Amino acid sequence: MIDSGFDRRDFLKVLGWSGAAVALSGCGNTSIEDGRETVVSYSEPADYVIPGIGVYYNSTCAQCDAGCNINGRVREGRVLKLEGNPDSTINRGKICGLGQAGVQHHYNPDRLREPLLRKGDQGETISWEKAYGLIAEKLKGVDGEEMAFLTGGMSGHLKVLLGNYLASFGCKNHFVYEAVSPAVVRAANKKSYGMAMPRFSINKAKVVLSFGADFLGSWISPVHFSQQYAQFRKGVDGQRGVLIQVESKMTLTGANADRWLAIRPGTEGVLALGIINALGTATGEIAAAVKDYDRARVSAETGIAPGQIDKVAALLKLRSPSLVLAGSAAEGYAHGSQNAAAINLLNHVLGNMGKTVEVSETIPFPQMAPSLGNTAALKSLNDGLSAGKYKVLFSYAANPVFTAPGALKFKEGMAKAGFKVAFAHYLDETAMQADLVLPLDSALEDWGTQVPEYLATCAQINVQQPLMEKLHANTRGMGDILLALLKQRRADEYKGYEDYYAYLRDALLKNKSALGGGKIDDDTFWNETLTKGIIKLEGPVGSLATKVGAAGLKLPVSDDGDDQYPLHLIPSVTASLRDGRHANQPWLQESPDPLTTIVWDSWVEIHPKKAAELHIVEGDIIEIASRTGTIKAQAYLFPGIHPDAVSVPLGRGHDAMGRYAKGFGVNPFQIMDAVFDKETGELAMHETRVKITKTGQRVIVVKDEGAAGGKQMGKKIAVRLSTDDVDLSEEV
Amino acid sequence: MHRSLRFFVLMMGLFLVASSYATDASQAALTTDDSLGPLVEQPFEFPHNRHANDMQIDCMYCHTYARRSAVAGIPPLQKCIGCHQSIDSVRETPRIKKLFEYWEGSEDGKIAARTPVPWKKVHDLPDFVRFNHERHIKRFIEQQNRPTQEACGYCHGDVKDMTVARRSKPLSMGWCASCHEKDHPVTGEGGVAVGNQAYWYSFQKPVVEAAGGAVKAKGPNDCWQCHK
Repeated sequence: MIDSGFDRRDFLKVLGWSGAAVALSGCGNTSIEDGRETVVSYSEPADYVIPGIGVYYNSTCAQCDAGCNINGRVREGRVLKLEGNPDSTINRGKICGLGQAGVQHHYNPDRLREPLLRKGDQGETISWEKAYGLIAEKLKGVDGEEMAFLTGGMSGHLKVLLGNYLASFGCKNHFVYEAVSPAVVRAANKKSYGMAMPRFSINKAKVVLSFGADFLGSWISPVHFSQQYAQFRKGVDGQRGVLIQVESKMTLTGANADRWLAIRPGTEGVLALGIINALGTATGEIAAAVKDYDRARVSAETGIAPGQIDKVAALLKLRSPSLVLAGSAAEGYAHGSQNAAAINLLNHVLGNMGKTVEVSETIPFPQMAPSLGNTAALKSLNDGLSAGKYKVLFSYAANPVFTAPGALKFKEGMAKAGFKVAFAHYLDETAMQADLVLPLDSALEDWGTQVPEYLATCAQINVQQPLMEKLHANTRGMGDILLALLKQRRADEYKGYEDYYAYLRDALLKNKSALGGGKIDDDTFWNETLTKGIIKLEGPVGSLATKVGAAGLKLPVSDDGDDQYPLHLIPSVTASLRDGRHANQPWLQESPDPLTTIVWDSWVEIHPKKAAELHIVEGDIIEIASRTGTIKAQAYLFPGIHPDAVSVPLGRGHDAMGRYAKGFGVNPFQIMDAVFDKETGELAMHETRVKITKTGQRVIVVKDEGAAGGKQMGKKIAVRLSTDDVDLSEEV
Repeated sequence: MHRSLRFFVLMMGLFLVASSYATDASQAALTTDDSLGPLVEQPFEFPHNRHANDMQIDCMYCHTYARRSAVAGIPPLQKCIGCHQSIDSVRETPRIKKLFEYWEGSEDGKIAARTPVPWKKVHDLPDFVRFNHERHIKRFIEQQNRPTQEACGYCHGDVKDMTVARRSKPLSMGWCASCHEKDHPVTGEGGVAVGNQAYWYSFQKPVVEAAGGAVKAKGPNDCWQCHK
């Protein structure tokens, strides 16, 4: 928000005048710069290193858990640009904007460089030896039950090492936490499809009906799905695929949809059952379960016109196979599991099983398979912490102080842990609360293996290798740290490994024949593996459920809201900032949000009708109050949101984590109530009810778009039609 | 009224600050064809004359990247040592002793072993200019078989007579153009010179009236070829 008396016009004048001044006095100077810069040669270069010519290495993107394979250009020993690895089955040579920004994670000026030990409010620089010694000292006599290890999603050899470390204490408290994860959908898929993550073939579908799955933006494996989506749009048999998106707040995927239906928050499952009813093809148990969901009732509950339900059902009947996806918008409620189950039922009824919902392979090494993050883990960790159960707490690749819902009061709970160790790249909110902070290598400096949760066409192990020398001498890779800690516990077992690289090489070579390198010698296999960056495997194939019952499917009658807090808060996950761990990468702060074009700040999306009712205009600073807390942000009038909801994007509002993250925007996690899905215990992200009030302040919203209804070359730019005004028969 | 007065004062202040800053910045005067660039002080003096003239070593023996990359590069320290460790006659001279300090580390510990020598750039084009050594070497030395010292000398002058290299050509855009205009005319169909090379400064591609409308240009005929 710009909030000062110095307006844009004045700013431009200043800029113009000072520019002119420099230009005038600068006349006649040459720009040849002899003798000013130093040119440093190599001391002992490798043969293939030629200044000015790039060398390319394959590795794995660590910006999210999708596991895209990347290819980095390195010139003069510095990594300059990341692209997708063409041999990847997941991203096939492409990466997203988030992945591109990976270099800003690596070169970030706010990266931690030295181990820090808390001394009052300050961090005192200590040596690694002292840090390891301190951990050993604090763990002396600590029972496995009294320590907890919090991490983000983990897989590969790092997971194996961590498992062994915890096992050496008999500790079972490994909490795998991801603030934004499709955990409810996973559980529902397991029930209705027989596997948590089947293969979704968007490219084979003729209609995709997505209930809030932002598969082009942030859902599971967006680069992979985007490519499938492109094929889907080209069409199977010349029929262009039709995308219908049902959600309460428009996502990037929703903006691309042919038909976007604004649904009353939380009633996604009701609509799914209504569609099954309208299809009229279900039999037996399912028919009985949906018989009450006639179009009048469904329309009344969901706020979607009866004609729309008929149109969607007609389209699904007309074109097969289709694909129905349950996304984060559907799962974010106390009845999220039920919502997802009802939506998944549609795939069975429509006969999509085995056609667009396909069986997927699994990784043949179960010990390396990903430990998937969820929010139920946070709840149990928080309960343990508040009860003062843990003497030592470790935290890696998670920032719960920032991402835990305000109602959990995680920070207070964490303070009760005796000794808190954070492995971190930056001094983020969680590291700020720790007693010992250990600086990590960036993802472009570290070794590792990763197994993606969503496997595209075959099982694969992704290889992560350093693209360049370490930028800072005193950072360590997480693998090296775990190895050092393991040596404290099981010295005999691990003394043969000098570092994590040696461990990794040994571990892969031991399984050479299982990894497809049976006939070649060790060095060749290892070099080939690093060159390719991917190990493709044939894994065991799971099996899909062919039949599913509708028993136990019970959707709550939608409530009419709450007098005190009448609106739903939809914390939106954006493609670039996700849960906020990337907020210190300025490219991501600077790239405009695809839907609102706002940069460097948070906003509150309000439907224009609701805004008119409350006399709110764009730029009004609004206070959003929930039972848990309040935040203030600028209003943005957005027709792509249900009038009963307001939406604030996640990811911003840091009060630590460096110059590019701290102080930009607000953090909606702070005001989230602690409501959980009844079946899985996952946090119901969309259940927070809020009220909004004007504060009286108003700012100019910093955004790229022009005035609403703007014109370009005398023509209207984007024609917008209400879905009710479109005749579906013309569409298909 | 009060506000605009305040603004005016701010403007004038900024103008003065900016202009005084810009004039104070010490910059070398524009050089012409026959004027030399400034003397650049190096960590220690490298005798180009000894190597290129007395010993007749090819430029590209040390600046080996020139034929393979956009930049000519400075030879790796290893390369200097590779020869000099077996040239005992000069081993104890001050310059070579200094060189070995960078390889073996200095006695006072100020220079660690294997430290590259921090040479200063002598021919340093601004960042918005991209000059490609490889293309020029390919043309002059590989295709036209001209002697290396002559070809390098077009831009770098008679380095074989220098100790520390010193810029002896202006390396300005007009100077680049002077060669490209003379030796690589833009020709239309049938080899007729077109456009009078005015495109260098009018920033326009030559318009060709010749039959077929084909333009044959040797050397750059588009801004982006150097400014990319």
